[in-house]
Formats: sequence, C-alpha cells, structure tokens
Amino acid sequence: MSAHDDHHHDAPASPYHRSERSAEQNRALAERVTKIESLLIAKGLVDKGALDRLVDIYENDLGPLNGAKVVARAWVDPDYKKRLLANATAAIAELGFGGLQGEHMVVVENSPHVHNVVVCTLCSCYPWPVLGLPPTWYKDAAYRSRVVVDPRSVLRDFGTTLDDSVEVRVWDSSAEVRYLVLPQRPAGTEHLKEAQLVEFIDRDSMIGVKKVRVS
Amino acid sequence: MSEERLARPEIAEMAGASALPRKSGEMVFHDEWERRAFALAVSLAERGQFEWREFQQQLIESIAQSEQRDPQYPGRGYYESWLAALEALLRRKRLLGDRVD
Repeated sequence: MSAHDDHHHDAPASPYHRSERSAEQNRALAERVTKIESLLIAKGLVDKGALDRLVDIYENDLGPLNGAKVVARAWVDPDYKKRLLANATAAIAELGFGGLQGEHMVVVENSPHVHNVVVCTLCSCYPWPVLGLPPTWYKDAAYRSRVVVDPRSVLRDFGTTLDDSVEVRVWDSSAEVRYLVLPQRPAGTEHLKEAQLVEFIDRDSMIGVKKVRVS
Repeated sequence: MSEERLARPEIAEMAGASALPRKSGEMVFHDEWERRAFALAVSLAERGQFEWREFQQQLIESIAQSEQRDPQYPGRGYYESWLAALEALLRRKRLLGDRVD
C-alpha cells in the first residue's frame, strides 16, 4: 500500500533474514519436522487435530476481548478507572495484558460532551495486546487521512452520528503512544455484571468509530 | 466473544530476537513446515512437556548461534532456528525416546 507498511515499529525487525530457500532445503526442513511430528504423535505427546487448532488460535485469537475486559472493569470499578486514565499501561498490566506493541498505552475517555477516535496516520500502530490485530480498514489510506480531516463523516460511515455539541477528538497513535478509547457505558446496563458487560464491548468502540450498544 | 482467549501472551508476545515474525501484526509463515514446527513447540509447552521459557531460551541461543558469523546475514531464518531449538530441547528432555540422531 505505502512505504509505511514496512515501517519498523509495525513489526519486530526483520521477520525474515533469509526469505529465499531452495526447494531442496525446504524439503529437508519439512522432513525434519515430519520426523519429529510423527514420533511425538506415536508417543501420544501431541495430537494432530490439536496442532491445527493451535496455529489458528495464535494466528487469530489475540482478540479485542482483552480490551473489552479492561473497559468493563473501568465501568464497574471507579478506582480502577482512575488508575487506567492515569497510567494505562500499568492498569492494563494489572489484568495481565501487555507486551509487544502494548507499551505506552494511553486511554482516552468518552463522555456526553467528548467523543474520541483513534488512528495511526503514519501506518498502522495499534495496541495488539488489548485489541488484537488491526482491521483492514484501519490500515487503509482512506481511513487514515479522512478521519483527521473530517472525523464526523467517517463516523457517519460507521453509523455513528453525534450531536453537533459533541466535541470530536482524533488521536494519532505512534510507536511512542498507543491510544485506546474508553467508551461510554450505555444507559440501562446498571444491572449487568462485569462479565456480562464484556460481551457488548467490541473492537470498533475501543477504536472510537462506534458507540457501545446493547441490543 | 465470550470465549476465553487461548493464545498465551508469553508466547504470542515474545520480544526481542525471539519475537514471532509478524507483518502488520499478522504472523508470517513462508512454508507449511514452519507452521507445523510452530505448532509442535507450542503444543508441547501447553501440555507441560517443557516450560515455555525453556524453549524460548533455547530459541534465543539458536538465533544467536546463527548470527555468530555476521549478525546482518544470519546463517538461517527464524523458523530454521526455531526447529533447531526444538530438536535440541527434545533431545535434552529425551522426548523422542532413546534414539540419538
């Protein structure tokens, strides 16, 4: 898409030092794996079906569920919310989430008067540990440039209409700071427990392009 | 949505030289054997055959080894080092039986 796609802070440096292996080398490597695999299967130490599922999990499961837990906790626990707004990285780590691309987190809170939305204008800086992998549109040049110039129309595209009196703040994530939106807790959810609230908090509401809805 | 996250952060979010190769956040496997080598190591750790940090340590050593001659041009790619680390750890733990090869 752009030169920024390979921006160094988007991934650990040099995922592949050597991307060109001969077919012969690959065959030899594949044979080594097959040999170990069949021995381990024979000994009952691994299970073929479990192996396939496992890769799936790691490829897809760094989901926004962690972020949802952070938000739900902040909704039900005012002290936690205070800590979260003061030092997001530390408060998020309290719940056991952190690590690569989760350093230097800043949480911005929505209110009846302020709506926050996050972008990375440079490339696609994104807090993996709490939101998982970024959606494709987040990486699109269209979103990255338009949300800065005309956030209200971008929000409308996502079905989010805001009253004219609401101030929209756009936050530009970078390698130094990664933003997470603390959405407003919807009215009528006072009776719900933390674990139930988690169900309603989705990725888009924590990027700030949508509100949390209970429907 | 309510399903527990199953990926273990200490694996998925390893940092530094041992960090999993990713591009725009997504894991990168160039060949199918890499995917299988990845799954074997993680599965054995999840089943308690070894601690993840034991494997990670072995992986770090294996990567360092491949960078010995020239850090800019390591002798092998990430998952080749991964496989070497897995083989070494399996031998050390005698998980492949008595075969020595």
